[in-house]
Amino acid sequence: MMPKSASGARSTRRPPARANSPSAPIVSPMTNVAVKPSEEPAPPQKTGVSEPSTQTGQAPSQETDEPSGVARFHIFIVDSGWNSAAHRVLVENFALLRNLQKDDPIYVLSPEQSIAFQRRHASRIGRDPIIAVHDMEALDRDGTSGFHGFRLSLGVLRTPQQALQGLQAFARFLVAHRRSTDLEADIRADLRREGLMGAIEIIMNHNTREMGE
Amino acid sequence: MPERIGDILTLLMGALAVGYVVYEIERRRRKLHDIWDVLDEEDAFLTKMLEDMVDSGELQPYAGATLA
Repeated sequence: MMPKSASGARSTRRPPARANSPSAPIVSPMTNVAVKPSEEPAPPQKTGVSEPSTQTGQAPSQETDEPSGVARFHIFIVDSGWNSAAHRVLVENFALLRNLQKDDPIYVLSPEQSIAFQRRHASRIGRDPIIAVHDMEALDRDGTSGFHGFRLSLGVLRTPQQALQGLQAFARFLVAHRRSTDLEADIRADLRREGLMGAIEIIMNHNTREMGE
Repeated sequence: MPERIGDILTLLMGALAVGYVVYEIERRRRKLHDIWDVLDEEDAFLTKMLEDMVDSGELQPYAGATLA
């Protein structure tokens, strides 16, 4: 079990949260969408920490087509590099994911950092790639004492198709809920909806949406 | 007597079917929460560690076009 820490222990360098942003429509995170193939691979970046950008939580402006405001999310990718379907799917589709999330910075832990991270938290081993999303608005408001984001354990998904669907659902959810005023409620509503859909499928004896086996 | 046995069997099969549906729903619910999970106070330490890495400059926004 992870140790608990005092709430609200956050840097004051982080930008203030935006207030009174309109709530985005709720979209199920598990619904399929077509995604075009990723761009051609480029040489690997050694540590994933090369951009000399600001540390104030702003997305890298030179990578965006339009001016980015204050980042709503901090996205962290923990991937120790298991030779898994999820790892390959993430690598192959990262460029697209990055373009979809260009308003929010993506922090990629190096394999060494990811391994060190998992050695400290053994329960995470084998569940990576893990994509953790910190909701900066919730963090600024309540610190870490309550809800402050969510994570996708992509490594739990065993087949490439499942991993791709999970990644697509992740991107769709972030884009759809970027301006949400209550992200936690949106997540829980979507999970409830998925549970209900799963129940209907079981009763109807369909397995097309089965994930993670 | 055979009629009674038939009723019992029907009840038994019905109970098994309902039990299976409940089990399957719960299994899928657990699976879904295994994949998607919210960050709360249990994750405070990890969250703080990652944000500290950002604040210290150890982590910076990824600039590469692709992931290795």
